[in-house]
Order: sequence, then structure tokens, then C-alpha cells
Amino acid sequence: MEVIASVNKLRLKFPGAESLLFKDFSLSIRKGEKVLIVGSSGSGKSTLLQVLTGLIPSSVEVPMKVENIKIPLSWGFVFQDPESQFCMPYVDEEIAFVLENLQIPHDQMPSYISYYLKQVGLSFDDMHTKTQILSGGMKQRLAIAAVLALESDVLFLDEPTAMLDPEGTEEVWNTIKEVGEDKTLVIVEHKINHVVDFVDRVIILSDNGEIVADGSKQEVFEQYKHVLIDQGIWYPDAWKDYLLANGKPRPQSTGWDSNSAITLTDFTGFRGKNKKIEIKNVDVFPGEWITVLGKNGAGKSTLLHAMMDLIKTKGVYTIFGQDAKKINKLSDYAAFVFQNPEFQFVTNSVYDEVAFTLRLEKWNLDKVSNKVEELLEFYFLKNHEHSHPYQLSMGQKRRLSVAAATVKGQPILLLDEPTFGQDAKNTFAILEQIEYLRSQGTIVIMVTHDLNIVEHFSTRVWVIDQGELTIDCSSSEYTKGMHKVVG
Amino acid sequence: MQLDFSFRETWLHKINPSFKFILIVALFIHILFIHNINIIINYMIGTAILYILFTGHPWKRLLIISIPFILIFLTSSTSMIFFGKGEVTWFKWGLIHITEEGFFRGLHLGFRGLVFATLGIIFALTTRPVYLFYSLMQQLKLKPKYAYSFMAAVRLIPIMFEELQTIRYALKVRGVQSQKGILGFYHLLKSYSIPMLSQSIRRAHRIAVAMEAKRFSDTTKRTYYYLVGFSKLDVYLLIYFVVVIGTSYYFANSYSYFPIQDVRYNN
Amino acid sequence: MGRALKLTDILVTIIIALIFGLVYKLWGPLYGFVSVFGLHAEQLIYGMWFIAATVAYLIIRKPGVALLAEVAAAHGEFIFGGEWGVTTLIFGLGQGLAAELVFAAVRYKKFDMFTVSLAAIASAGASILIDFYYGYIGDLALWNLLLLIGIRCVGAVLIAGIFAYFIVQALEKTKVTNLIRPVSSNDYKDLDK
Repeated sequence: MEVIASVNKLRLKFPGAESLLFKDFSLSIRKGEKVLIVGSSGSGKSTLLQVLTGLIPSSVEVPMKVENIKIPLSWGFVFQDPESQFCMPYVDEEIAFVLENLQIPHDQMPSYISYYLKQVGLSFDDMHTKTQILSGGMKQRLAIAAVLALESDVLFLDEPTAMLDPEGTEEVWNTIKEVGEDKTLVIVEHKINHVVDFVDRVIILSDNGEIVADGSKQEVFEQYKHVLIDQGIWYPDAWKDYLLANGKPRPQSTGWDSNSAITLTDFTGFRGKNKKIEIKNVDVFPGEWITVLGKNGAGKSTLLHAMMDLIKTKGVYTIFGQDAKKINKLSDYAAFVFQNPEFQFVTNSVYDEVAFTLRLEKWNLDKVSNKVEELLEFYFLKNHEHSHPYQLSMGQKRRLSVAAATVKGQPILLLDEPTFGQDAKNTFAILEQIEYLRSQGTIVIMVTHDLNIVEHFSTRVWVIDQGELTIDCSSSEYTKGMHKVVG
Repeated sequence: MQLDFSFRETWLHKINPSFKFILIVALFIHILFIHNINIIINYMIGTAILYILFTGHPWKRLLIISIPFILIFLTSSTSMIFFGKGEVTWFKWGLIHITEEGFFRGLHLGFRGLVFATLGIIFALTTRPVYLFYSLMQQLKLKPKYAYSFMAAVRLIPIMFEELQTIRYALKVRGVQSQKGILGFYHLLKSYSIPMLSQSIRRAHRIAVAMEAKRFSDTTKRTYYYLVGFSKLDVYLLIYFVVVIGTSYYFANSYSYFPIQDVRYNN
Repeated sequence: MGRALKLTDILVTIIIALIFGLVYKLWGPLYGFVSVFGLHAEQLIYGMWFIAATVAYLIIRKPGVALLAEVAAAHGEFIFGGEWGVTTLIFGLGQGLAAELVFAAVRYKKFDMFTVSLAAIASAGASILIDFYYGYIGDLALWNLLLLIGIRCVGAVLIAGIFAYFIVQALEKTKVTNLIRPVSSNDYKDLDK
């Protein structure tokens, strides 16, 4: 088969990095292949896609040289983050942007736009709809539509579902399967569950930019499973293998104080003047791990914000019998971990970040350094204590955010999708760390979309629907019901 | 920018944005040469009519938008009223020296500030940024790389607002207390701007790459989804202001509010 | 080394400018509240209006960035319906040009606190010049005029000079600036090792 894209002896180095990312790297892709490239973060897989399309070095200046390179005549590129690949505010304008670049005449644009939208299964009463109101899955399908407008035979996909919930992930992969049937696909992915059944070639990159494995998917998955586990890839059996390897029983929340630690009665939270969340009556006990489920926009994060007193609330909210509104510093009782860890970092180094709260509380130096050392050890951050928090990997940032938030040992821990976008290895690590806190009696309330966490880690489930708590039951009851519904 | 709100589309929305823009800048420069307080008061009435009747927004919203106008008036006028040069002293106490000339010069500045503010608000309320940039590319040959960068950036503003909110929450949760004084101000500025800037720079970088991946280029020709042209409404707007200015001058001469022709000192 | 502005440079500059445009929008009312007293206390925070130019220059380090940033910030404030309307645009243009001239004078090779403070003073100078026409400030009592000029310059140096410098330094620690800075030739040499 004809080679459609290739590099021969690629050398590439990021400015200021100590060593080359790629040293004499070669790869070729043939027409019609569906290729999956996996590798841990920092293995250079996204960079490789940008080299194969010529975006490096033409759009992004990265020092590189190559003996031979073949860039496909026409290619399209779908990026990871839906928010940062659009240029225009409305759906029609976004696709029109591509058509304008290709100099399609003005009067033909509307019919092209509806054609490409239909191809990705998007239909609107009015194409002039704000992209802002679309769900993540719809945004990525719009991005695919815009790429289809380029009429290219080769599609490069750089983790197109990394920022999506399970529902969105599924719609996007279904769309890609449909539109990609007759095209060459080069996919970089970390969550490969949905991808495995339609790719035919799998390439594994090592941390130092070398090809570990390259072959048919049967071959690679059979022989290199340990590498997938080691790199934290979300392959189909990742959860099963993890549970097998660890023999983990479902946690029990018994054995603790039987007095409720948190009580919410007719508790409502407001954004501006609008009521966004309402809880009729719940009691929460020490050692419980509650997962908060619900659709996007149902009010899950709002509930956490209300419990953290970040928004206006009404009703009864007591913590250990005290009125939460009268507690001077709620952060003495409850720790909060944000979805995007970067926003909660306030210092310039990992060490200072963990020490920050203790220094505010005027702990003496020895106690601070003891506590910080202990936490850095526990969260595997010891080797990075002098790094800037922003320079850490996704997983490290997440662990640091938990370490820094929980440093005072607060009895309540609120987390907003802490495993979002994390690879398998980091997900299991952070879940184990939270489980340790729970086993010490901490109340964990966690927003997530991951039902595996419900089944294997949490003790109780809250489902939020349109701002109301509709289901409150134990995790085992919830999973039983779930299986019934699923069949 | 105000398109999130519902409003009635009026003829002002249909004016060619480049023309509207140039007209307003031209008016600005002309107003700098008006030193007669009577003219500026009439002028203000003329622009206020346009604001109240033809921006197509409900009067309640217009009222809320115009609250800061009071501040503009005060900010623009107070220094001059209290400390402006003049011969006829009305009041003197310590450093404060209110003179007749200074007082009217201050009022003039206040009214002038109001006229500028109203013109600006009229533009903002009746112009969609996307149309403005398409028009600037088509009529004024603005380079596409500037126009599309601007449109892409404007799209991000709601996201930036959300981030601002998140940072505020985070600072509260982490127990960051604001300090007083200059140093406190610096810390506040820093704790907001570092996360905002770093997120935005990364995002801008990614968007630029994504745009080029969609074959955006500044060198090749391009077609346009929106064709923005001129219409007779543009002429109407021009006539409106010619009439406003004409009558402002006329009435200022025949029916003046104050017997002052020029508010400047030494004139 | 390409010194012309690339799409990335322009987009980054405009987004930085819009962030400050937002700040200006929020700043406007605050500025108003402090200023009512007439003793120019507000002039101390006037420097906030010059910061887009210096921050953008320090981050991107290319010709034209300071002017673009200041114009874009003013434009941003304008299209969001900032209280000052058209006035902002004219001031933005003047302030940006003034800062740009200072950076041109050092041939876009100096990125220290002194240079940006100088640019801040130049911006302040430009704004004062426009104010002679716009705000009749020449007709203020002399002591009051000097007070205004003095405080505005001090505020400019403090906010658009010193603060801007330290903010960009803190930003550099996050390494995000590496994305947009020109690549050194040493990095290219390393390819042959």
C-alpha cells in the first residue's frame, strides 16, 4: 500500500529541555490504515502528530530536523480541548471559517455548513447557535465537522475525548467511526476502550520517544499488556485487572460514630437570584464516601460550592452540631479540591504549596516541615518539591491539589471530578489515597461520572437532577439497580 | 457584546460597523473643539434621544447601564470645579477654590464625558463584534490575522469570567486573606493574573495552532461568510448627527442656558 | 529569527490585552469612586491603564506588541461598553504608541524594570498630553496640575513598571512563556549532538 505520511530519522528537542525528545525516529503510515498511538504523557505522541502534519515547525517553532518527511496532501486535525480549537462564537461561523480559508464562494456556504453538520449527526433548528451552550461531546463533533470541511483523506486525532464525560466520549467515537470509514486515521489516545474495535495497527511509544511496539492490535495487546498497565493506559480491562491485582473489598462505612456529622435540611444554594440546588433532608456520617452523580449542569458542582459556603445558601446546614454559617472558618472543617488544580495553586513551589495553609495557621517551623515531608512522601511528590506547581504532570498536579487541600486533616473532603482526565495509574493512586483518608474517618463527597468508582470505592450515592437530590442510597443498592436497568 | 440579552433590532444595528466606528471617532475629535457649554448640553440631548429610542433595548436595562454615567459626570468635573482657574470667586476654603469659570468648565467636562460615554454605549449596544471585524476586513482592509485573533479572543471572554470566579472561590477556600495597602494590592493583582495569564497564553497558543490546522493563512485570498455593505441607513445616521450638531449650534446661540461662549481660561 | 508578529503572537497579545480590558472595565467604577474627592488620589491607580502594553512586551518581546496590546485593550473596553466610550480608544492609541517608542529606542533588546518603567512614564506622558485637550487640565490651578502629573507618573511606574515586571517574572516561573518566546540557536545546535 502507498505510504501516505512518514518521517525518517526525526530529531526533535523542546527549547530548554535537557535531552532530545526524538532521536532518529522513523515511522510510516500507509493509506487507509487506522493507527492508534499510545504512550504515557511526555512520550511525545502529540508532538509526533504535529510533526506528521507539518504544524511543527510551521505553526509551532520547535527545533527539529529530519532526513525525509512526507506530509499528507490533505489532512485534518482534531485537538483535545474543545474550548481551545474554536475561533468563532457560533456553530455556523465556525465551519464557515474553514470554508472561507478554502475560498468557497459566499453563497454556497450555508448548504455546505448544513451538509457537514449532518455528517457528524448534529442538527439545529437554527445553525446560528452559540457553541458555548453545546455539551462537550457536541463541541467535539462540531470540531470534526469543521475538519471534514477540509475534505481531507487523513485525519489526525489528538485525544479528542480526553475532556469529555462517558456519554460524550461514546458519541464522539461513534461519529469518528462513521466519518472515518474510508479515511486514514491516526489516533493518539489514552482511553482506548472505544477505539480498539476499529483500529488495525497499534504503536506504543516509550517515555524516551522510542517505538516499543508496532503491529496488529491482537499482537500488541497480547504481548505488551504490561506496558499498557505501566503507562496507565485505560484499556478495556483496566479496572478488572486492577481489582484482581489488589483484591480490593468494597469499603464499609461502619464502625464510626453513629451521630451524624453533617445535616442538611431544606438546604438551598443560589447563583445570583436563581435557586440552583435544593436538598430536602440528609445526614452524613463519618467514614462515608458519597459519589455525586448527575448530568452536566444538573447542579453537582453547585452543591459542593454551597457546602463550602462559596455561594449564597438558605436552610439548615450543621457540621458536628454547629450551624455552618456561624463557623468562622469553614475551611477548618472542610477541604475542597477543584476540578482544575491549577486554579487553586497560590505559591511557586510544590513544597510551599503544601506548607501554605500551615504557615497561615502559624505552625512552628519543625512541625510544618515534618507534616509537609510526610504528605509529599504519601502523595509521591518528594522528588518534585522544588518544582513550580504548573510544571507538574496532570497526575502530579492532582495529587498536589489534594495534599495541599487536606493538609489540616479536615474531617470533610469535597472533590469536584478529581479523576477527570487522569490516566489509569494516577486514577487508582488518587483513589487509594482518598480511600486511606476515608478509612481514617474522613467524610468524602465526590462529584464524578465514573460508575466504577461508585461500584468499587464509594459507600453511598447521591443523584442530582435539575438541581434536586433525587436518589440517595447506598452504593451497593445503586449498582444493583444499575445492572437491572442495563439488563 | 450584549447579544446574550434579548433586544429589538433597530436601524442602528444595520448601520455599516466600520462607518459607525469612523463616524463616532470623527464626532469625538470634533467635540474636542466645542468649548461652548450650551452646545454640549444640546448635543448631549441629541445623543440621549438616540440612546433611549433607537438602541432597541428595554428601558429598564438602559436605565441600569446609565447608572455609572453619574460617576462619569462627577469624575470628569470635580477636580475642575474645585481647583480650576478663574477670576470670579464663589467659594474659598483651604485648597478648594471654586470660581465661576472653573465651575462651568467643570460642568462642560462632565457633559462632554456624558456625550462620549453615550456614543460609546450606543456603539456597543448596537454592534456585534463579529460584524465589526468582518466589516473592518472588507471596508478598511484590516489584515485577517488581526481580525480573527480578535474574534477568537472575544469568544473566550465568558470563559475568562468563569475562571475569574473560580480563582475567587479558590483563594477563599485556600484561606488567602487580602492585605491592605500597596503590597496587598500587588498580591491581589498577582494571585489573579498569574493563573489567568498562564491559562490564557496556553489557550491562545492552542487556538492559533488549531486555526492554522484549518488552513488559516494571512497570505492567500479568502471569501467571507458575512458580506457587510453600505445602505441608505448609513446616510440617515450621518444626517441625524448633522442635524443634531446644526441645531445644537443654532439653539446655543438663540436660546442659551448660560451666558458663556467658551469655558477655557484666557479666552 | 523572525521578528514579524505571527498569528500566535497576535492572538496571545490580544488575549492578554482583553484580560486587562476586563480589568479596566471593572476598574472604571472603582476609579470613579476614588476620584470624586478631586485631589487626584485616583491618579495613583491610573497606571493600571498602561499595564497591558508593558506586560505584553515583557512576555512576547517583539516589536509592535505594546501598541497592539494597548489598542486591543482599549478596543476591548470599548466594545464591552466601557464607561469612557470613545475616549478610551484615543487614549489607548496614544499610550500604546508612547510605550512602543520607548521599546523601539532600546531596540527591543532590554526587558528590565527600568525600561518598562520608562515606557510607563511615556504612556503617562501621552495620556497627560491628550488630557490637555480633552480635560482642559491646563486650566487647573498649577499646584493641582503638578499634583496630578506627579501622582499619575508615580502610579504608572508602580503599576505598569514595577508590578508588571514582577508579574511577568512570576509568570516565567510557570514556564508558560516558553511557548511563545523565540527559540535560541543553541537548541538547534543540540540536534546534531
